[in-house]
Formats: sequence, structure tokens, C-alpha cells
Amino acid sequence: MSRSPSRGKRIGVSVAGLAMAAAFAFPTYWMISTSLKPRGDILTSGYDLIPTRLTITHFLDAVEKPGFGIYVRNSLMVTLGALVLALITGLLAAIPLSRMRFRGRRGFLMLVLCAQLAPFEALLIPMYLLMRRFDLDTNLVSLVLIYFVTTLPFTAWTLRGFITGIPADLEEAAQVDGASRWGAFWRVTFPLLGPGLVATSIYGFITAWNEFLYAFVLMQDSSHYTLPVWLATFQTAFGTDWGGAMAASTLFTIPVLVFFLLVQRNLVGGMTVGAVKG
Amino acid sequence: MSTETDAVRPGRNTVPAVRDQRARPVPPPPAGRVRGRRHRRGSVRRQSLPYLLLAPAVLAMLALLGYPVVSVAVTSFQKLDLGELIRHQTVWVGLDNYREILSDPEFWTITVRTLVFTATCVAAIMLGGLVAAELMRHAGRVVRVIMQLALLLAWAMPIIASTTVFQWVFDQNYGILNKTLIALGFHGFVGYNWFSTGLSTMAIIVLLIAWQGVPFAAFTLYAALLTAPAELYEAAGMDGAGPWQTFRAVTWPVLRPIVMITVFLEILWDFKVFTQVWAIRSGGPDGGSTTLSVLQYLDGISGHHYGVAAAVSVLMILIIVLVTAQYVRLLVRTQEVDI
Repeated sequence: MSRSPSRGKRIGVSVAGLAMAAAFAFPTYWMISTSLKPRGDILTSGYDLIPTRLTITHFLDAVEKPGFGIYVRNSLMVTLGALVLALITGLLAAIPLSRMRFRGRRGFLMLVLCAQLAPFEALLIPMYLLMRRFDLDTNLVSLVLIYFVTTLPFTAWTLRGFITGIPADLEEAAQVDGASRWGAFWRVTFPLLGPGLVATSIYGFITAWNEFLYAFVLMQDSSHYTLPVWLATFQTAFGTDWGGAMAASTLFTIPVLVFFLLVQRNLVGGMTVGAVKG
Repeated sequence: MSTETDAVRPGRNTVPAVRDQRARPVPPPPAGRVRGRRHRRGSVRRQSLPYLLLAPAVLAMLALLGYPVVSVAVTSFQKLDLGELIRHQTVWVGLDNYREILSDPEFWTITVRTLVFTATCVAAIMLGGLVAAELMRHAGRVVRVIMQLALLLAWAMPIIASTTVFQWVFDQNYGILNKTLIALGFHGFVGYNWFSTGLSTMAIIVLLIAWQGVPFAAFTLYAALLTAPAELYEAAGMDGAGPWQTFRAVTWPVLRPIVMITVFLEILWDFKVFTQVWAIRSGGPDGGSTTLSVLQYLDGISGHHYGVAAAVSVLMILIIVLVTAQYVRLLVRTQEVDI
């Protein structure tokens, strides 16, 4: 038996791999290609996997739909608001959990770990009643708070993992050289936390950007819709305008895609190291 | 890895072993206490620092996670409809909500459907992830990069965007699937409605969730596969082991812990999924794709029976807690977590 795999096997693996890649890329391709087709080429029984004519009118239509700018702004506000809160709070919590010895540390760790697995979808009713009691049930603040607390445990847990991975000796050396405890952390450990902050930001960004249930339930007034809620109601917003729906979906996807492609190297390592390895 | 696990397992109670391990590298506390007595103020500040740093996170989790958990349990013992909510009335009804739900055959249909749905999603995702990971490992560089890019595209697509695209692909009149089937000669698919029955609607939702979920599983398993020692594969090859034998003897032992953890995570994620199910057909046709999370929404938010819906939530949470407890035990036992 030869050491290198046979030619037949290599071809088989390549064909299967490419077929799988095609299956996973197809919806993205189909979304973009539909969004670029003229209306007449979409609602037709003709068969065309590759668009013959291109147009950007669907994008112009989607952008000009009433409220589009507001939905983008709402989505950005709740996503970035929750992200910033989660990063700051999570980092503050990660420092003692990774670097300090104190009574109850184990309990706090368990709390964060369990909170990370909390089924937020199953807390819909009490969350709705809570936000209603504080008159936040029609306010974007409620979404910021919910997305913040949804992403906080993962953020704290993952940053803790990353800080633990940075040797404390480095900080101690800086302290020996006269830096304060904070100075040592800020100048030595924090700059090395880049991948951890990236991994947690992506997670927070995607979670909040994607979230549908709470936005759908709490934001009854259309002026408070976020992009997912608007997209999900596309059947009323667009009718059978699949070109418009695909253009809107494409616009909704672009920020996430850019985020993913920019950081894809960190992503796979970061997600698995942080999320799975603890 | 296996020796560590064995060292912990005999006692069943993993806590002492783990705690001892953690205590070792750190100096014992008494020294700190002696120093603390001399500089009392600095020491108090130093001792309270960890709690101060943890305070914002803990307060947020208590208010927005702890309180709802307590509140959902309390609400599930109340009659809380729109009237009571507006009048701020508290009407205790004991176990009435649970009695009402559990005696409703529809609830059991939905529960069984949700469990089958979860199992199917998890199986599809794990199988797809494993196949993708193995293909990436064996494929040449170019094919591997193409696969990674395609998986990344699928992973990056927002849930609602891909849900919308799937609806378009499966569209009755102009969807590319029906068009393709017709072009291949299956003329029965002219105007075929994929969402006409609950079963086929559920099948499409499973397909959608698997498509969205496979990339995470594939990348996680691929990363784990890379840790398998190459010499073992060479040895297996020299011993004349077939692909299946090699997988069982070499690959599986490396993958097993990470597969277990991914399976648990997928169970937790897929069991409570709402967005895709709702966005595809709002639990229809005729309630045929309603899962527990949709039922909770229909009872509570649309039906204004908050007490009944809270009881559904509590039953969901109980199932989730059972799975989570197993998951945390597994994490601690395999020492993926150094608590």
C-alpha cells in the first residue's frame, strides 16, 4: 500500500468537497444574484442560474422604502450599545476571575458559566412583563439591556480565558519595574487581549444584530423596528417583490460578512478556544 | 487527556480534586492576612477590589436574568391575563396552569414534535459538520480554502436573511428548487407548495437550521482533527487499516470530547429556537410547525395568557436545565473548565 492516498480517492474528496462548498455558498449566491436581476427576470418560469441582465434598482427600492434609514439606525444603536456595555462589564469581571484570589471565586465562575447557557428565549414572558412594568416595552433601551445581558456571560467567560492564557509573570515583571497594578494590566496584558476582544465583539455583534424574538415582541411600533423585524415582515413590506427582499437581505448581510472576512483567522481560533476550551 | 480524566473519575465527586489542583500554584492565604493586619486600609481595599470589579456584571445578571427566572416560576402559578395585568391584580391559582397544559393533547404533540425536531437538527448538524471537517482535512489546499470560504459565507449570513432566502428558494411558483425539478423532468412540481403540510415545513426548517449550524460544527471539529497525531495515521495506514477502522481507532478518540461538547451546545441551541420557525410560516400550516417556543409566544404574547405561557416556559426551562447540568458535568469531568 502506498503512503500517499490514491488518485481516485483524492479526486473523490475534491469532488465531494466542492459539492459541499457549492451547497453552502448557494444561498448567498442566490440572494445576491436575485437582488441584481431585473424584476421581469425574477418572476418568470424561465430557467437562469446565472443572471443575464443586471440592475441595482432593487437596492435603490429597498433603501428608499419608508423607514429603512430608521431601521438601520435602530439596529446599529442597540447592537453597538449592547456591545460596548458587554465589553466593559465583561472585561471588568474577567480580571478578578482570572487574576485574583478571593472568597467565592468558584461560585462566581459557576454563575457566569450557567448564565452563559441561560435560555433567554424561554424567559420571554417575565422579560416582557418586566420591561412593561418599567415602561420600556416600547423603548430601544430594553433591547440594549437584553442584548447586553445575553452577551455578557460569554464575553466575561471568554475574556477570562484569554487573560488566563497571558502569563501573569509579564505583569509581575512590570510591577517589579515600578508599574502600578493597573498600569501593569493596562500596558502589558490589555494590548495582548486583541484576539479575545475581537472574538467577543464578533459574538456580541452577531447576536444582537441577528436577534429577532425580543425585537419582534417588544418593538410594536414600526418606528422602533430593527432590521430583522423589518425583514421578517417583508411579505407585507415587499409582497412578491423577491428582488427587493433579496436586496434588503444582502444589505443586512454585508456588515456581518465584512466583519467575518476581516477577522476570520482570529474567529475560528477565538471561538473555539474561548467558547469550548473555557 | 485520558489520564487526567481517569484521575478525577474514581471519586465521582470531582470537586475536591479540582479544587486541590487549583490551590497548588497559589500561595496560601494566611500570609496575606498577616500582611493585611499591618496595612489595614490598603488590605480592605485590596480585598474588596475583586467584588467591586465583579459588581456590574453580577448586578446585571441578577436583575435581567435572575429576576426573570424567579418571576417566570412565580407567574406560572398565577392567573395572569390582560385584565389582571392592567389592573395589577395577583390571582393565585396553584397548579391550574400546569393542569391545563398537561391535560391538553396538543401540548404533548408539540412537545414530541419539538424533541424530534431538536434531535433531527443536532444529528444533521453533527453529521454535516463531521463530513465537512473530514473533507477539509483530506482535501488539497485549493479545495480546502474554497470549502472554508463557503462555510464562512453560510455562517456569516444573518438568520433572518438566510430564512428569507430559503423561502425564496422554496417558493411555490418561481422558486429555483421547483424550477430545477421541473427542468429535470419532474412535472409534478409545477406550482408545488412545500409549505402545505407541517411535516414538510418542519423538514425545510431543519434543513435551514442545519445549513446555518454546520459551519460552526465543521470548524470546531476540523480544529480538533488537526490535533490528531499524524504518526498514528501513518501507523494505521502501514497496518493496512481501512478508512472506517482508521476513523474508529485514531480519529474518534481525539474527536470524542469535542463532539460531546458540541452535541450538548447544539441541543441547547436548537431546542429553544424561535426565529426560524416563526419566520418561515409562523408555526403553520394549521399549527403543524409549532414548537414549544412558538407555543409560548402564542399563549403569552398573542393570547395574553401570561400565566399559562409562563408554565410552558417553566417546562421548557426544566428540560434545558436537565441538559445543561449534564453539559456542565461533562465540562468539569473532562477538565475543559478549570474551575
